[in-house]
Amino acid sequence: MFRFQSLDEDCTLEKEEGLVEEEDEIDQFNDDTFGDGAIDDDWQEEHKRLAELEEQKNNGLGGLGLGALGMGGMGGGNASTVHLPPPASRVPHPSSLPPPHHSLSSMPPPGLEERGGGDLAESLAMLILGADPAIASVGGPAGPGDRSTGLPPPSIPQQHHHPSQLPPHHPLTSSGLPPGPPHPSLLSYQQHQHLIRRGAAPMPQMNSHNIWENNLGFGPVSITPGLLTQMEDSPLMSIIKEVGLPNRPPPMMSEDGRDLSERAPPPRSSSPVIGSPPVRAVPIGTPPKQPMSHAMNHQQQIHHPTAVHVRAPVQHQHRYPPSFPERISPNTLLNIANSPLCRPPFPAGMGPVLSQIQRAQMLNSQVAGFPRGCQGPPLLPGGGGFRPFFGQPPPHRMGPHPGGPPPNHNHVPCPVIRHNTTHLHPQHRRMLTQRMQSRGGERGGRVGDWRSRDPYSNLMTQREKEWVAKIQMMQLQSTDPYLDDYYYQNYFEKMEKRQERDRDGVRKEHTTKLITPQVAKLEHTYRPVQFAGSLGKLTVSSVNNPRKMIDTVVTSRTDDEEKREKQVWNKRRQILYTVEKMYSLLLEVQDFEKRFMQTPEEQREALLEQHKTHTLQLYASLKEKEWDDRVSDEQCLLIMSVRKGKRLISRLIPFLPPLQAATVVMGIARNLPALAKKDKQDQVLCWLVEPIAVVISSLSSASLTDLLQELQGSEGQLSRVLQNKFGVTLLYLILSEGERMQSSNPTCQLMDDNRWTELVFSVTRELLNVPSSSLSPPLFTPPNLLSLFSRYVDRQRLELLQEKLQISALSR
Amino acid sequence: MRFTSRPKMNYMPGTASLIEDIDKKHLVLLRDGRTLIGFLRSIDQFANLVLQQTVERIHVGKRYGDIPRGIFIVRGENVVLLGEIDLEKESDTSLQQVCIEDILEEQRLQQQSRQEAEKTKHLALKERGLVMPRPDIMDEYGVQHQY
Repeated sequence: MFRFQSLDEDCTLEKEEGLVEEEDEIDQFNDDTFGDGAIDDDWQEEHKRLAELEEQKNNGLGGLGLGALGMGGMGGGNASTVHLPPPASRVPHPSSLPPPHHSLSSMPPPGLEERGGGDLAESLAMLILGADPAIASVGGPAGPGDRSTGLPPPSIPQQHHHPSQLPPHHPLTSSGLPPGPPHPSLLSYQQHQHLIRRGAAPMPQMNSHNIWENNLGFGPVSITPGLLTQMEDSPLMSIIKEVGLPNRPPPMMSEDGRDLSERAPPPRSSSPVIGSPPVRAVPIGTPPKQPMSHAMNHQQQIHHPTAVHVRAPVQHQHRYPPSFPERISPNTLLNIANSPLCRPPFPAGMGPVLSQIQRAQMLNSQVAGFPRGCQGPPLLPGGGGFRPFFGQPPPHRMGPHPGGPPPNHNHVPCPVIRHNTTHLHPQHRRMLTQRMQSRGGERGGRVGDWRSRDPYSNLMTQREKEWVAKIQMMQLQSTDPYLDDYYYQNYFEKMEKRQERDRDGVRKEHTTKLITPQVAKLEHTYRPVQFAGSLGKLTVSSVNNPRKMIDTVVTSRTDDEEKREKQVWNKRRQILYTVEKMYSLLLEVQDFEKRFMQTPEEQREALLEQHKTHTLQLYASLKEKEWDDRVSDEQCLLIMSVRKGKRLISRLIPFLPPLQAATVVMGIARNLPALAKKDKQDQVLCWLVEPIAVVISSLSSASLTDLLQELQGSEGQLSRVLQNKFGVTLLYLILSEGERMQSSNPTCQLMDDNRWTELVFSVTRELLNVPSSSLSPPLFTPPNLLSLFSRYVDRQRLELLQEKLQISALSR
Repeated sequence: MRFTSRPKMNYMPGTASLIEDIDKKHLVLLRDGRTLIGFLRSIDQFANLVLQQTVERIHVGKRYGDIPRGIFIVRGENVVLLGEIDLEKESDTSLQQVCIEDILEEQRLQQQSRQEAEKTKHLALKERGLVMPRPDIMDEYGVQHQY
């Protein structure tokens, strides 16, 4: 049917079956929408038929004629035996074919009627089959290799029927009959759908019905009873509950090379987990179906394992045991239906199929007492010009149904308190029971009387009432009753306390706890289905197995790690904070001059004072706690570890008084390796060069020496210093300063102690030793270095130095 | 006694459930103002109702008229309220029943007078500057057309 695929634009590639699959889903939706109990049948048909029957009856055909017609209608000559018609066929009896106003007058049916009896169905079937294999093949899925044996014959006339309902296509079908089968494509899309739907309809509904049945009986997991009985306690059960039954391959493989899509779609085999969301086994909106033939059910179950759903256990379901046995053999049912009543004056054509009304009547009669049982077509209370009910409601395709509690129920004298009502407070229950009883007591006599006269009562069966009550009870479920129904709980608590007080605890039967349907809070974590041994994830994602688009991995750090990290961050923040503070001071200091100019004379003094304090403060933050002349190493390090801090220092130094500036520089020199290491990323130490240069130039010889010493302070410091650009620059600066001092002022004290000489010697030694690769080039090379070195080292070394440091002789 | 009393099920005591009301005569008031009286035959969880032998009762003043309607299926959301009719007390009422034609005529007159009153009121308000939106002539977007 790929012709039709074009019409069906939302047919995806996945659906190889094409149209067929779509049908299935529509079907299921139909079920969900209209419920299991919804009759899929064409009520107009039914109505017509029943109307005709009624007319004929009124025309005085009499029971016999009816019987004959009915028998003929039943087809297959089964009129003698009362049998349950195939439930799935809402049989539009072929008796409706005969009426001449059917436009298929060219059809054999009128002739068929004359035949009557036995082979009506067969002949009809053959005729249609021969004439219209297309239709027949559509009827096929209901046929061979299939569940119900009873289906094929009725379904064919049934399907044949439907083309008759679509007049525009009549000429096609009827004309097509003699020459050959009309091509399926000639059937309209709608018609075709119609046909397919007919054929397919019974199955899913039966499936879901079974599940419904099971649900009532077995609790949370809805597994087809057939399978259930087989594997009661096996470990398989758990697996099945977990994963779901495997999809049964569609039983209809193409035979005789027929087009698969022409057949009715295979039953919906939807995995519970993979694929689109499964049809809820028990759509809550569907009223209970009447129990169908047990045989049917059973066959149904075996052939079509339905989706298994793992559901949260709902406790209350257990509390609704059906008040009548669900599985009754057809015979038993019929016995129940027929025996208490004398045979009702309904046409045998209706046969044992009890309509809702009939069931209600039955119940009424049971209630009212047998003598009143058979009142023919009932008279309506209160008159009215309504037609007798008889013609109106289409018979359900359900089998006969006891219609409520089994007959022995009448003997229960007292009102039955169902267990479900214990959900409510026992006091409450008691109250209402009393109320009911009192009410019942008053009106008992009259009620019964009235009820017996009301032929339409009990149209809503007990089961249906229970079903509605069940839904309503479900709405009362709560995981936290105090949250959901605070006032109810409180009210009854108070009442109970009050009663206890009043009665002084005479009645011990009070339970102190309130009983409301409580559902345990369940964790509904979804675990996507994973196939063992498969690579990667499912390719098809659906509502039920959503696929992660982004694999987010949560890296959860341990507490310790987190603490450490936090500490680090905190420290850094602290440093930055300090730096910020200092900066603000510094800025003030820097702006001092400007302000100084602006302020009037009187206030200048104050401003000056302020300025001084600021600078002092700045220095104070840097220096050691106790010693005034030494910069706190840690503090310095801390500040300098941050780029901002370095900048700060570089700006700060010019404003410091010389002594303090010197100490700062000392501190820098002392900690140079550490600073250098920290600076690797930033490389901003060189900002310091300028201010330091200024400072150095103002240093005394002693302090210069000290500085040099600081620079070389610890073991291996110098080498590290030399590795750093800044360090080298600083070194050079110091040396050049020393040289300048020496050269300019012969009487300088630089040479007084040997420190300077020694230091320089060590420097030179180091310089020579250090491989030139690790010697970093300075920012600039002071010109007088060579002269310095020439004082201390011999010629050879000098030359080496020269080469190494690339001090050109010209720079002398 | 056994046979006359129907088996009683305690459906949801203490809750507003219609199950107990089934097969009883009810008066149902709909959102569009209609009053239906009929036997409640079936319900569902949405309180959709199936009423049988329904009669639509039109009240005008102290008189009323019944229009037999047959079987009604009412969508639950359209029900304002419903209540059981006590069959004994049903007959003693001060209201007078008239035939349908009369009551319809009376109703028509009533509607007419109401409309006229409404119109004059509307006009009076308009003269005073207050324009009340009339739901019947108002568009989706709240646009009023002054005809």
